[in-house]
Amino acid sequence: MPKSASQPVIALKSLVKRYGMGDAEQTVLNKIDLKINKGEFIAIMGPSGCGKTTLLNVIGLLDHADDGDYKLDGRSVDTLSSWRRARIRSEQIGFVFQSFNLIPRLSVIDNVALPLTYKGFSKTKRSIKASEMLSTFHLSNREYYMPWQLSGGQTQRVAIARALVNNPSIILADEPTGNLDSRSSHVIMEELSDIHQRGNTIIMVTHNPNLTSYASRVITMLDGQIASDTQAPRSKRSKSALKRRLDSQRKPTKSTNRKTKKTTKKGSK
Amino acid sequence: MRLLLLYHLGCAVESLRANRSRTILTVLGITIGIASIIVILALSAGASRIVKEQVSDLGGGVAVVRAGVTETEPQINNITAALSGTKTASNLSEYDLEDIKSIEGVTAVAPLMLIGGDVTAGENTPKVVQIVATNPALPDVIDLTMDEGQFIDSVTNEQTAVVGAQLAIDLFGTEQAAGRTFTTHGQKFTVIGILKRQNKPINYNNVDFDYAAIISINSGKRFNQDIASIQQINIRAINNEKLPEVINQIDKELTENHFGEKDFTILAGDDLARPANEMFYAVGAVLSIVAGISLLVGGIGVMNIMLVGVAERTREIGIRKALGASNTHIVWQFLLESLVMSIVGGLLGYVFGYLFAFGIARTFLTFNPEFNWEIAGAAFGIALIVGLLFGLYPAIRAARKDPIASLRQYH
Repeated sequence: MPKSASQPVIALKSLVKRYGMGDAEQTVLNKIDLKINKGEFIAIMGPSGCGKTTLLNVIGLLDHADDGDYKLDGRSVDTLSSWRRARIRSEQIGFVFQSFNLIPRLSVIDNVALPLTYKGFSKTKRSIKASEMLSTFHLSNREYYMPWQLSGGQTQRVAIARALVNNPSIILADEPTGNLDSRSSHVIMEELSDIHQRGNTIIMVTHNPNLTSYASRVITMLDGQIASDTQAPRSKRSKSALKRRLDSQRKPTKSTNRKTKKTTKKGSK
Repeated sequence: MRLLLLYHLGCAVESLRANRSRTILTVLGITIGIASIIVILALSAGASRIVKEQVSDLGGGVAVVRAGVTETEPQINNITAALSGTKTASNLSEYDLEDIKSIEGVTAVAPLMLIGGDVTAGENTPKVVQIVATNPALPDVIDLTMDEGQFIDSVTNEQTAVVGAQLAIDLFGTEQAAGRTFTTHGQKFTVIGILKRQNKPINYNNVDFDYAAIISINSGKRFNQDIASIQQINIRAINNEKLPEVINQIDKELTENHFGEKDFTILAGDDLARPANEMFYAVGAVLSIVAGISLLVGGIGVMNIMLVGVAERTREIGIRKALGASNTHIVWQFLLESLVMSIVGGLLGYVFGYLFAFGIARTFLTFNPEFNWEIAGAAFGIALIVGLLFGLYPAIRAARKDPIASLRQYH
């Protein structure tokens, strides 16, 4: 869908989200104003309980805001029916979770094909597209593995493949590296930054300040409000990203290869 | 947006397979429920079919006048009505009989006066036997053939009787009982004929002729202070076309005889089979309710397992919703699972129900269970309804789950 460059993809205006009732009421999002343009890579930082994940859920249409206005692609989504919201999730939004959230009963390829199912693709089309997507993540030889047979890094790459398979305009990542060791974390971040470079909008919640170097914009939240919103210096970011990509290009591919061999050996036994 | 029913069907089958043992147990519950309904429906339909066959075997043209008004209103009442009908004081008289005889187009008329009583033969202990007092025209209006000897006729002695094949064995120890004697109501009767075995305990005369003794109407009257208390009059018309006219005429004559009171019922065609028929359907209905309870239990089993499945897959529901599944998708995913279980249970129940029905019929009954589309349709429909009814609530509960809370659930 064509969008003018000036129009923000996401526009939040004094967004309020409360949990609980009466005395126990807690304002999780307190009048958030935020504009996100197409092609931005946003890192949302902040202490636990500051409302990062809630913000992400509201943006991803999994949660309703109690007050304020949320425009997605210039269209207000507050009044949409649950069916329309599901449709938008299916077509425009890709989720990446901290705990990967692959469906354990389904094979890797079926997991990746899941968003296509709800988009109404035929079975063969689903398999072809899912397979293509997995091959861009160098996971072709894992297609018929079950999720529990994968390492953490591989699982998260499958999850990212799944988030991307229906060409969403927005990727929402909730601490995508939270359950991974530092090496896998950087592989995942490289993938995300790669996706960003291809023109996708990414919104990522993270605790790890090191990862903000990949982002083009860093938002810090405190007590349900935006405490700071800084554009990362463009030159520095691209330099550091480039550097990281350079030294990770050798190591992670090697390590994944090694892992591949190990797993296949195990599998053949 | 498509409903993706095929996809959900695949998912349902897969997840049911993954939990094989609990699926089998749940399906078993439905199978037992459907099977018991099938047994009842198949046997009661089989019973009413044989009565209908008896009517058509006669080649039509047969009508029956019964004493008393047949109540058709509540089915349950008919269970007792049909049984006690033969015992109510009769208001059909010999006078009515003669009137019917004189109607144009009537070829044969036979009364049935049913008398119960002890029958003693020789030194044997008395036996309670159904005694039918009638006239020589009986074999013309119902399907009776002689195995030996002759039927009572106008010239035979009043102290003679015709006995059913099984009664002959019960009384005398042999089917060759011609010439033997028995005593009932203080009168001695000589057996002059034995009926051929019929094996039709269910018929529209409410008499099992294999076990009955047939005497002349005059002998019967003697047991009843010289009053013919006729429960039923069987009539044969020249042909089927003439029958409606004959029935009309009988109706008119009898109403006149009974001072304008319609205290009798005329039955013909399929209606003839009705009292027995209705009785079987009524018994069937009562038993079906009992079977329905077992089906209800099976349905509750389905709901129980589905609720467990929904709880187990809360996280999966959250994931699916985040990836674009609408509430409708989730409803169908779980609804199809319960429908698959109930329909498979229904099919198995249909098969096992008929196996069981045949088992019962071959061991205890004289007729086979009936196959028809209504029963197959009923089994399928009931299974479908059970699956829908007990699957809908868990499915809706699944769809209503908050995706965020679902995703947060510890796995």
